[in-house]
Amino acid sequence: MAEAGILLKLRSVSKSYGATAILHSIDLDVHDGEFITILGPSGSGKTTILRLIGGFTQPSGGQILLDGNDIAAMPINRRPFNTVFQDYALFPHLTVEANVGYGLAVRGTPRAETAKRVADALELVQLSHLGKRFPAQLSGGQRQRVALARAIICRPRLILLDEPLAALDVELRRHMQTFLKSIQTEIRTTFLFVTHDQEEAIAMADRICVMSAGRIEQIGSPHEVYYRPGTEFVAKFFGENNLIPGTLGPVDGATRSIDTAVGRLVCAIDGQPQIAALPAGSPALAVFRPEAVGIGEAAEGENRIAARIDQVAFGGASTMVNTAAVYQPQQVLKARLPSRPDGTSLSQGETVRLVVPSSACRLVPA
Amino acid sequence: MRFADRAAPALLITLTLFVFVLLYGPLMVPIVSSFFTVSHGAVDWSQPTTSAYVALTQNDSVLSALWTTLIVGAGAVVLSVALGTGLALYYASPHAKGRNFLQFIIFLPFLMPPIITGLALLIFFRQVEFERSLLTIIIGHTVFVLALVYRTILTRLQSLSGSLVEASYDLGASSWQTFRLILLPNLSSAMVGAAILAFALSFDETMITLLVTGTQSTLPVRLWAMMRLGFTPDINALVALVLLFTTVLCLVAVRYLMPASAISGSDDN
Repeated sequence: MAEAGILLKLRSVSKSYGATAILHSIDLDVHDGEFITILGPSGSGKTTILRLIGGFTQPSGGQILLDGNDIAAMPINRRPFNTVFQDYALFPHLTVEANVGYGLAVRGTPRAETAKRVADALELVQLSHLGKRFPAQLSGGQRQRVALARAIICRPRLILLDEPLAALDVELRRHMQTFLKSIQTEIRTTFLFVTHDQEEAIAMADRICVMSAGRIEQIGSPHEVYYRPGTEFVAKFFGENNLIPGTLGPVDGATRSIDTAVGRLVCAIDGQPQIAALPAGSPALAVFRPEAVGIGEAAEGENRIAARIDQVAFGGASTMVNTAAVYQPQQVLKARLPSRPDGTSLSQGETVRLVVPSSACRLVPA
Repeated sequence: MRFADRAAPALLITLTLFVFVLLYGPLMVPIVSSFFTVSHGAVDWSQPTTSAYVALTQNDSVLSALWTTLIVGAGAVVLSVALGTGLALYYASPHAKGRNFLQFIIFLPFLMPPIITGLALLIFFRQVEFERSLLTIIIGHTVFVLALVYRTILTRLQSLSGSLVEASYDLGASSWQTFRLILLPNLSSAMVGAAILAFALSFDETMITLLVTGTQSTLPVRLWAMMRLGFTPDINALVALVLLFTTVLCLVAVRYLMPASAISGSDDN
């Protein structure tokens, strides 16, 4: 049974090599036309998911359903997916044109049509002028775009991208992120993008699937995983979150309190029924981003924490204030304040009041 | 330390030169001698001549031995490259079974003393009543050079990114298309290089040939027979020619076996 809007379904997919389990019972839906990013540190199993979908390895258990049909037995060359490999895998003995046209040539597409579609694909990736070159004569970014053109030319239903930007330098990577996203919007094809870089994931994805140790930690929009982490791992993986351990208090509408060593904090739980369902007294962590923290009397918010300033670090657009809670000195708390041209009045050793609005504070199970 | 810094390179250079003289000096003797005649047991140094080379071109037994050598070389090259490519592809395929044992079997005849390999083949041909002929020489040479051909092609195969084959399948190609359009073009220079090396090895192989030949003689076997009758300038001339030929082949082979980046100067980052 095909479900509208869902291209691919992974159901209880697992993979192990001998006694080593790489993936534990993965459930994942890939929606038609979306840009989904699988994000995780190395060894989290993210590339294995891509290779299972592509058909390069076989699952040890579970099902991969395309339009409702299990494709476990479908050979690589029959799957309507194409891959952009991490090392690009351009054929060194073929020109850019021949590389891009390879998928059509092996299917016996008429020459005139192949030429036309190769020209279109090269134009799409802005490489029309380099068609006669060989891969060794191209820069990293150009090879990347050839690999993309080669993958889209067969009009696959899904394009798999295996950390394709990892080998590029920072500036080029930023540029390619925008470029990839614009291509994806233009050709309206589903992209499944694997990366270990959170910034990259946030910049491009419609949805992010965060993985750790062979399990899915959270699936959600970039905004969700960034501001509403579902697990401690996700909260730590996305940068410099403040985490304060404590025990859960009662639910009060869309908020729930948590008792911590720095006092009782009130956190938003809207959209997180799994947090509301936890029994009172369960261990949990309060999570809030440094940029949500205000300092001083003027700041507004329900949660107030007395802290002593350890360090004030000017970082251009923002200034990072590292503090230690007065009632729990080993609890580090960070606040990121917008920088001001006349500098900050805060100084090291000063005791201040950190203010966190409940709407910016979230809970994750410990 | 200063002294050691300067003395060590000088010592190494001297040692290297000495080894070179030791290795290659004796080779110069027949080459030089081939240009002079011998009369009454003494070399006549007064007049360099190419008469020995002219005599070779009129020596039918040498010419027919040369012809045999070329046929055997060509046969062994074709067989060993075909076999070596197939075995290398098998070894590198992810589902290969018993690959280490297979590799050991391939290397064995190359590593064993040629006389053992030759004797084993001889006994085998005897047992299965396979008449000794040109064909048995070709088989003997194939068994001998296969290890080198196989290893050369496998090395190239393993230097190719594994994702090339995956990319080919990913783009819809069949196994045969992947072999013909992706693997073969990337292996071809290694195959040519291996073929040249195999030919060079086959060209001067003596021991196995002596044991498995029927009535034919290859050039080295002919040379061996001629030497039993005493050293003459045409032997020197023949040695010089074989030497020249083998050297040229090896130089050409090296050119094919260099990694692609070293030849085209591509910047593979």
